[in-house]
Amino acid sequence: MKTVRIIALREDRKRLLEHLQDSGLVQIRRGENDGKGFKKVDKTSQMQVFERNVQLTEQALKILDSAVPEKAGLLSSFKGRREIDPDELGVIASKSGDVIAVCNRIVELDKTRSDIAAELVKIRAKLEMLESWKELDIPLNTTGTRSTAIFIGSLPEEYSLSKLKEKLAAENPKLEFELEVIHSEPNLTNLVVFVPASQRVMAEDTLRSLGYSRPMSPTSKVPKVKTQKTIEKRERLIKQREDAEKEIESYAASREDIKSTQDYFRVRADKYNVINNLDHSKHVFVIDGFIPESDCEKLEKLCARVCDCCVEFGDAGDDAPVKLKNNKFAEPAQGILTMYAAPGRTDIDPTPVLAFFFYFFFGMMFSDAGYGILMVIATGLMIKLFKPDKKMRNNLKLFQYCGISTTLWGLVFGSIFGDAPAAIYNMFTGANITMADILPWPTLDPQKDALLLMIISIALGLVHILVGMGCKFIVCIKQKDYAGAFFDTGFWMLMLIGFAVLGAGVAFSPVLITVGAVIACASAVGLVLTQGRGKKGIVGKAIGGLASLYDITSYISDLLSYSRLLALGLTTGVMAQVFNMLSTMMGTNVLGIVFMIVIFLIGHAINIGLNALGSYVHTMRLQYVEMFSKFYEGGGKEFEPFSLNSKYIKIQEDK
Amino acid sequence: MNGIFLAILGAAIATVLAGIGSAKGVGSAAQTAMGVLSEDSSMFGKMLVLTLLPGTQGLYGFIVGFLILVSSNVLSGNPDVTMAQGFAYAGAALAIGFGGLFSGIAQGKAAVSGIAMTAKDDKNFSKGMVSVTLVEIYALLSFIVSLLVVIQVPNFG
Repeated sequence: MKTVRIIALREDRKRLLEHLQDSGLVQIRRGENDGKGFKKVDKTSQMQVFERNVQLTEQALKILDSAVPEKAGLLSSFKGRREIDPDELGVIASKSGDVIAVCNRIVELDKTRSDIAAELVKIRAKLEMLESWKELDIPLNTTGTRSTAIFIGSLPEEYSLSKLKEKLAAENPKLEFELEVIHSEPNLTNLVVFVPASQRVMAEDTLRSLGYSRPMSPTSKVPKVKTQKTIEKRERLIKQREDAEKEIESYAASREDIKSTQDYFRVRADKYNVINNLDHSKHVFVIDGFIPESDCEKLEKLCARVCDCCVEFGDAGDDAPVKLKNNKFAEPAQGILTMYAAPGRTDIDPTPVLAFFFYFFFGMMFSDAGYGILMVIATGLMIKLFKPDKKMRNNLKLFQYCGISTTLWGLVFGSIFGDAPAAIYNMFTGANITMADILPWPTLDPQKDALLLMIISIALGLVHILVGMGCKFIVCIKQKDYAGAFFDTGFWMLMLIGFAVLGAGVAFSPVLITVGAVIACASAVGLVLTQGRGKKGIVGKAIGGLASLYDITSYISDLLSYSRLLALGLTTGVMAQVFNMLSTMMGTNVLGIVFMIVIFLIGHAINIGLNALGSYVHTMRLQYVEMFSKFYEGGGKEFEPFSLNSKYIKIQEDK
Repeated sequence: MNGIFLAILGAAIATVLAGIGSAKGVGSAAQTAMGVLSEDSSMFGKMLVLTLLPGTQGLYGFIVGFLILVSSNVLSGNPDVTMAQGFAYAGAALAIGFGGLFSGIAQGKAAVSGIAMTAKDDKNFSKGMVSVTLVEIYALLSFIVSLLVVIQVPNFG
């Protein structure tokens, strides 16, 4: 990593920044030349305009998605960004005004729509209130004419017209009246009573004795007319809402344009954000940043082509970001590494080691040739069909390599969809053969040779840990920490090797036992002598040295942890075998064969899901906990170049 | 008198106890995960991984159970188990049964915390995941013990 400083004329700023953004070579940092004739330029307000536009388009897209859901396949999340011609960018820019207008319109329509929805709720409540009066064709607050008194109101009981007449007559035989029942339901009767003006008081008393009450809010409006008007209004609103919805739907065709425009504004907002960080004098401006060493030449050429400017490189200090660079084999595992932490300043890049062991252990745990081949084909197809972006592509590649390893281990363990070939053969012929009989090469059956496989697992674990410690050794040497390299790491490596040789000796030859024991004892003595070197006084040193031997327990538990290689490998095989057994249970008639196919497909799908997840998680754990703890510090920052940080489109690279 | 009942009892102990552990663990993790998903459904993948982590105990138990049924020939229909072998199966099953039961519950609790941590900042996901798998080693050790015994039992007298 190098630092870079570009000084150019202010009039070239736009062009230069655009090219830098397109190329994505430089990570720009905030300039630190304030006060020395330079100052920052505030572009925040412009930036906010662009960011508002991004938000507006996001909102419009959301509305469109709810109105007209986008047809998206199950696998569309693997799809890469749409590639566009560099020329198309100009078209997008020129159309952006129109697209923003469309977005504004969509948002406005959406607002209309929700306003109408709120209004409709109100109308419904109003209609409910009017419901019991809707037949009344005089205003609710009518009290009478010159010669007639009119009572409009309700009684708290249900009456029919004739029953009510009887009741009123019985209550007060003197009363002359005419009445109409407007509405009646249980516990409510709305009525209009006409009496001669002279009997007004008497009529009121009589009605009160039946529980008469006036309407709650008498108005001068005629309920019948009002109801009709409200219904008309409702219909008008519903129509309006439909129109708004139709119009929103009609914009579905511009979805792609909206997406491109969103990216256009996003990119511009980024650019203005960068300008905020640059130092400007009256005529020139300065870009400070970081650039990977390998790209320096490219940048120089680019700058020379774009404008007259001065490019300087310098050595980056400790705060420089890290860009991982690996070959095709290791690159997919970078994601796994950065998920843990980017390498710190003293770290070496462990990706190649990580990649190898990741593929290797994943394969050993998933260990089935059938599943492995499926993985290779599926990931291959996805890469080919969807042309995913780099990150997703790397993830798919990771699983493709894991698939290859899975296939190989599956062949070693004699597992192809579990024991499917043997089980199906047995089902049709009634024979009783095993996978070992079919496969022409010697296999290692985890069920029968579990102990052997466990020893192999732990031996592989030992190799893994030793590689991790080897990395620590290299790191220490690089930092000229020779005591750390030889005493802290070297002796422990020797000790582990000693135990390994001793273990091998138990199995093969007594000579090795002696050799191993000698190595282990010698390194133990070395540890006791050196591990207390930081302590004061002879006693302190001795105690420190002896106490360090206790660390052996952590190495033992680390090693035992690798027995999961056996456990998960066995799990995959046994589960597959169980599903094969279930699927071949129903015999060889037509029904049985259909049953077999269904159970086979479902069962193996479950098994792949469960065990791929398990293998992935546990492989990662072995790397993170058992290996990285031996040497890896992490804590670095990733290199994040100033580039076209878009969501939907990407510019085709010049070929 | 032979040991068929004890062999089947062993298979049951292994499957059921470890299964209970996993069910409890996955259950509590799933509850928390759904709470997180109600806020942000884009975390589904990560939540799924963390939720399923306490599920392995049940698998281990099932595998031990299955291997007991296979090696005692219960599945092939003519079981052939001596009393001593029956006791051996039952004893072996206790390891993964109880190991799975308690480590499943404990791992479930760890997974709940991992989910809460990931919900706050999904950069914490890998750390949470690794921490949750730390619990698993104890289920694994139980499983290995059960396994090593079960595959040797047919050689017992």
